[in-house]
Amino acid sequence: MPINLYVADKKSRFQVTSVPNIGLLESMGLRSGTHVTIQNRYALGGPVILRVEDAYDLALGKDIALQIGVEQVAAS
Amino acid sequence: MKTAAKHENKILLMGNPNVGKSIFFTELTGIHAMSSNYAGTTVSFMKGRFNINGAEYTLIDVPGVYSLSPTSEAEAVATRFMESGARAVICVLDASNLERNLVLALELRQYDIPIVYTLNLTDVAARHGITINAALLAKELNAPVVSTVAVKKQGLDELKRQLEAILAAPDGCKPNARACGKCADCPRSHSANPWVRAKEINRRVSTKTPSSPGFLDRLGDAMLKPFPGVPIAILVMAVTIAVVVFGGRGLRAVALLPLVRQVIVPFFTNIFTALLPEGVFLNILVGEFGIFVISFEWILALVFPYVLLFYVAFTFLEDTGFLPRISVLFDNIMRKLGVQGGSLIHMIMGYGCAVPAIIGTRAATSRKERIVITAAICFAIPCISQTGALVTLLSAYAWWMFPAMFAFSLFLFVAVTLVAGMFVKGRVAPLLLEVPNLLMPNPRAYGRKLLTRMKHFLHEAEIPMMAAVLIAALLAETGLLNRIAVHAHAIVSGWLGLPNEAVIALILGIVRREMSVAPLVALDLTALQAFIGGAVALMYIPCISVFAILAKEFKIKIALAITAGTIFLAIFVGGLINHAAQLFV
Repeated sequence: MPINLYVADKKSRFQVTSVPNIGLLESMGLRSGTHVTIQNRYALGGPVILRVEDAYDLALGKDIALQIGVEQVAAS
Repeated sequence: MKTAAKHENKILLMGNPNVGKSIFFTELTGIHAMSSNYAGTTVSFMKGRFNINGAEYTLIDVPGVYSLSPTSEAEAVATRFMESGARAVICVLDASNLERNLVLALELRQYDIPIVYTLNLTDVAARHGITINAALLAKELNAPVVSTVAVKKQGLDELKRQLEAILAAPDGCKPNARACGKCADCPRSHSANPWVRAKEINRRVSTKTPSSPGFLDRLGDAMLKPFPGVPIAILVMAVTIAVVVFGGRGLRAVALLPLVRQVIVPFFTNIFTALLPEGVFLNILVGEFGIFVISFEWILALVFPYVLLFYVAFTFLEDTGFLPRISVLFDNIMRKLGVQGGSLIHMIMGYGCAVPAIIGTRAATSRKERIVITAAICFAIPCISQTGALVTLLSAYAWWMFPAMFAFSLFLFVAVTLVAGMFVKGRVAPLLLEVPNLLMPNPRAYGRKLLTRMKHFLHEAEIPMMAAVLIAALLAETGLLNRIAVHAHAIVSGWLGLPNEAVIALILGIVRREMSVAPLVALDLTALQAFIGGAVALMYIPCISVFAILAKEFKIKIALAITAGTIFLAIFVGGLINHAAQLFV
């Protein structure tokens, strides 16, 4: 069952299932099928930091993270 | 080919943001492009000339983009450059993040322009345990690939050789040079989605050995965690302020003030008093407010040490990757103010100078955010020149007066951001940025950037500063000031509680921001008057250069509104502080 990225837990590895229609997201490498892990999440409506394909970090504001669907792949 | 028009001899420098593109530009052309660790500084492009084999080419530093799909202004600009044609493209790839970089690499091949790829940041990749087979990558891309560490100049000669080779090749389909789509096995016929191809190529050419992250990587990650990231960020900013403020005071007291007062000013005074008879003309040159006195007192001893130290610190922080980290850490607080974390970078730039900060807001994701942050910078953030003058003015009374002024500036920032956010229509886009690796700045690149910044400052500030000095000397030494001061009595003295002559600060402040403080230093003010004078200067018109940039970047209406707003707020609030304080004194 896909969940939104903002509530995804920090320890697990996820695969992106849906991204909102924001062109830059796709350009930055966040697409359906991309593997991500959550690095950090900040209190008070702060952003989420994702490590994308174990290669680089993206910071996504809460409003964007809420619109991204992910599915757990394997617990680590 | 040598006869071709210069603009047709274009070579495009392309790549993702934060791959070290600007360093290639500097190394190849000798002109320094500002290279930074955060996305958005190369919004407008840079160009410079360089020679290969006696032929002159124009190298264009195209804004860093993740792909050519026109999802942002920068991508549209990059696409336009490709479409308008060029002799060759240098595509810079980040070896530590090859897969995503390959997407752009593949997209560039859709155009009939020969490409040389450089595999940069190979040192960072090695740190992450990544090795890339450059020869195999060259085969996959069907184009030359050069391994480089640009900041250390490694691989640049090889890059020039490869560039020479593809430029020398005659037109037509050249293996290892371009993909024109005419041959059977042309890479252009790979119709596969670039993302799929990128993954495939990356799998073939790179090997990753598990490596334990080094100190910088662990520190970089730790700085992104709320704890210890937030305390570290606050500590770094506190240390930075301390270095600038105390370092500036030290430099002024130990070196510059003695130099100006004991060497430079007596030197000019002796010369001019020997040559000229006493009178107004002599006073204009070397009187108390003489040109040859205040230009050194104000510019060299009052402003310069702080400007130097600010850029020493800021350039270092910028090159390390600290700034994107605080954008992330404080995004939640900035959102409560109605803007996003990325605005912090513009705000911090504004503590240096409002002009580049306002230009930098072009990178803001919405018009609303641009205007709100620009207004906050104009109303509430003193530039470093003014900060230097404020430190000197206020520290003469009590140690806490400058911190109090700083706190007042932060309070104003919050207030202006909230109020402007209510009035400007539109919405603010959520944070979306790549967090670059934490890096130790390369001393050579750092030194050169610092030098360029200082040169740029002197170049930009020179004329307005001299103009302000000239106006000050003429007003003060001819007695004109006293006549004007009488008319300004009601506002300056009655409402603000300052001596009449302080009107000179309000006149000079129009030209340069620090000049609204500098004349106050010599006026024998009380502590309260100094604080009011400083507060008025802080809120007052940013300066004539800022007005020009506001008019250029926005509409003249906005420039006028902000200017009128700052004058009104400065006088109004300054007077309120005065009258409120009078109740207690």
